[in-house]
Amino acid sequence: MLSRVANNLYWMGRYIERADHLARYSKANYFSSLDAPIVKAYDRSFVLESMLFMAGIFDMEEVNERDVLFRIGMDTQNSNSIISNITLARENARGARNAISTDLWEAINTYYHLVNNYPQEIYLTTGLYDFNQMILDQTSIVSSKIYGTLLHDGEWAMILIGMHIERAIQIIRIINSKLNDIYKIEQAGHPITEMSFEWTNLLRCLESFDMNRKFYRTIPAREQVLEFLMLNQNCPRSISYSLKGIRRYEEKISQNESSESNAISFKIRKLYEQYRYLSFDEYKDDIYGLLNSTQAKIIEIASELEKKYLSF
Amino acid sequence: MRQPANGILDSYNLNSSHYDEVFNGSKEPKEHYNSIVERFNQLSLSDFERINNEVKTAFFNQGITFAVYAEDKKPDERIFPFDLFPRIIPGQEWMQLEQGVIQRNKAINLFLDDIYHKKLILKDKVVPADLIFSSKNYLKEMVDFTPEGGIYTHVSGTDLIKHTDGQYYILEDNLRCPSGVSYVLSNRLALKKSLFDLFDKLKTKTVYQYPEQLLEILKTVKPKNSGIPNVVVVTPGMYNSAYFEHSFLAQKMGVPLVEGRDLFVDRDFVYMKTIHGPKSVDVIYRRVDDEFIDPLCFRKDSMLGVPGLMSAYRAGNVTLANAPGTGVADDKAVYHYVPDIIKYYLNEEPILNNVQTYHCEKEADMKYVLENIGKLVVKPVDESGGYGITIGTTLTKDQIEEVKVRIKSNPRKYIAQPIMSLSVHATFIEETKEFEPRHIDLRTFCLMGKDTEYILKGGLTRVALKRGNLIVNSSQGGGSKDTWVLG
Repeated sequence: MLSRVANNLYWMGRYIERADHLARYSKANYFSSLDAPIVKAYDRSFVLESMLFMAGIFDMEEVNERDVLFRIGMDTQNSNSIISNITLARENARGARNAISTDLWEAINTYYHLVNNYPQEIYLTTGLYDFNQMILDQTSIVSSKIYGTLLHDGEWAMILIGMHIERAIQIIRIINSKLNDIYKIEQAGHPITEMSFEWTNLLRCLESFDMNRKFYRTIPAREQVLEFLMLNQNCPRSISYSLKGIRRYEEKISQNESSESNAISFKIRKLYEQYRYLSFDEYKDDIYGLLNSTQAKIIEIASELEKKYLSF
Repeated sequence: MRQPANGILDSYNLNSSHYDEVFNGSKEPKEHYNSIVERFNQLSLSDFERINNEVKTAFFNQGITFAVYAEDKKPDERIFPFDLFPRIIPGQEWMQLEQGVIQRNKAINLFLDDIYHKKLILKDKVVPADLIFSSKNYLKEMVDFTPEGGIYTHVSGTDLIKHTDGQYYILEDNLRCPSGVSYVLSNRLALKKSLFDLFDKLKTKTVYQYPEQLLEILKTVKPKNSGIPNVVVVTPGMYNSAYFEHSFLAQKMGVPLVEGRDLFVDRDFVYMKTIHGPKSVDVIYRRVDDEFIDPLCFRKDSMLGVPGLMSAYRAGNVTLANAPGTGVADDKAVYHYVPDIIKYYLNEEPILNNVQTYHCEKEADMKYVLENIGKLVVKPVDESGGYGITIGTTLTKDQIEEVKVRIKSNPRKYIAQPIMSLSVHATFIEETKEFEPRHIDLRTFCLMGKDTEYILKGGLTRVALKRGNLIVNSSQGGGSKDTWVLG
């Protein structure tokens, strides 16, 4: 596999995953807020600020709905908007065109055209749900082509390690955003019993509400939600599961090079094992600390991976 | 499907001044078009438009597009126009055409070998030596070097037209990086999906083996000391207008698509940079022009090339397809001599006609050209893509004077030919929602390897979509048709 092509595949995976999380977060937050129980806390600007926080946009002086939706969804000047992410995913797929299947290429290209041709005015007025749902549906189609139409070899693993690295980072961002929201609600003096709404919302932002209910069979609360999204090995949208993926695909890429000579592999395993044997009680008083240190370690792994395999 | 009261081809207007491929003078379809015309006439206009739109959407999603860039705007992506009405060539007619193309390319290959070695044809004054040595496409780096298997033109794309006399004429030999074959394969696939029942009625030769044949041909010219060769396609990158084709061919052959920056040369061997270290490269099907392939030899500012590539090539450690320096033979001034080249090396009469060509470097020809610009097509000898061509009948007086000045300033650069009347073919015009006659040509694809050759049975029929336009190149608003060679 050419290093340049590996670079394209890796970033294609990351951008696809990033757009998916942005769309889901916007959709889940915006629509759940419409009939929120703590009406005052949920005025429009509160939700919009949460969306901006997650999307990493901190430079808006005045928060109005139209501008926020535009910046997150369709602003081509914002390199982290949904449309920019899909454009970059497609450009990377084009650069690796002959390494991927025709099916996968056409799925990504169709996805790009759908987003690019989506009428901006409709998105900003009545199409928010439809647009974000389209992103989620198109991601599902692309994912199924990744799993179903590519040889499960090193090139395939390169796409998936990109997706899992990005997923881990996005999960951390989303948990951070929601913890931030909850903190603000607490500061405003609302009773903790009304927080289940926010915890449910966090699960929905990561498509994990149904899984969580099935696993705990209780109303979502802080401990169950954070334990689930961080430590559960079987929830495909947990940090632990993402780390398992990173470990699996790195093995495929390095062709099981011994871990003494492979510093990246060592770091991935160490982090993965840390999560595997962690219990909620051990970190419940310092959630932020754990999230931040995990994020730093993942970013370090990603940059070493880029240095080792993707530079050309 | 409903049976319409009138067939969609009923409104077709014959233009008697051109050779019509589909209809005879009394608007009866020619025999080989009978079943297609009958089938098309069973479709209503709305059926036809629906199929047409489906095909366009499919091309769009497949990425068979080019981008039009405008300032401050998102690039506008457009598909290459494709016409659903296939061009049909009867088996007998094709046989002659195929033999003619192979004959021509064999002779050209011998010519290239000669002018880079013994130069007999120049010594015998069949082709003027000046013409060759003054060409910027004659590369001194190729002198006395023999490419593997003696093959220079592994891939050539000979362009032909049919004149009012119903005969094929060679328009030009494209011996550098001829493109378009991916459209042949995509067009066929589109037609198979959309009008599949047409294929029941006529036995059409398949085109799908082209990538396999290309790979086989490339393997026949692998360097002597290589084992199982690592074949790659080299592209200038994804912003090149032919990137779709480069990636298409690499993918269909199952070989890496690389850019210059993916390769490096070490001790005269070429390597590609993989995630597990360097891997040697044996055969390069390069879609980068000569002047960009190696900044140490040619253009120093080239970012697309590989420093040291020519040295590795001359050491026999890597094969380049096509060989550098083939452009000297598809120069439009050399075109004039190809019939003589065929006779000289093969001792055969040319099977296919050349268009009468006036070479402005010759005094008598120059005089004729300057006096008759209004009746001639004037072409620069070393441009491709239809650039720089003027067609006499479309020029104003002032423009004629401008062309004269241009020719006089550099006679070597220009040739002129009578305005050939390209044949016309019924083509669906979206603006009028009718079939109208439009000019077409044909690009063939011929592969040559060590002791083997292959010609794609079909080719790219290019169609000039603007009424009356004779230039079919896609860069000038041309479209294409599927081309059927009957069994």
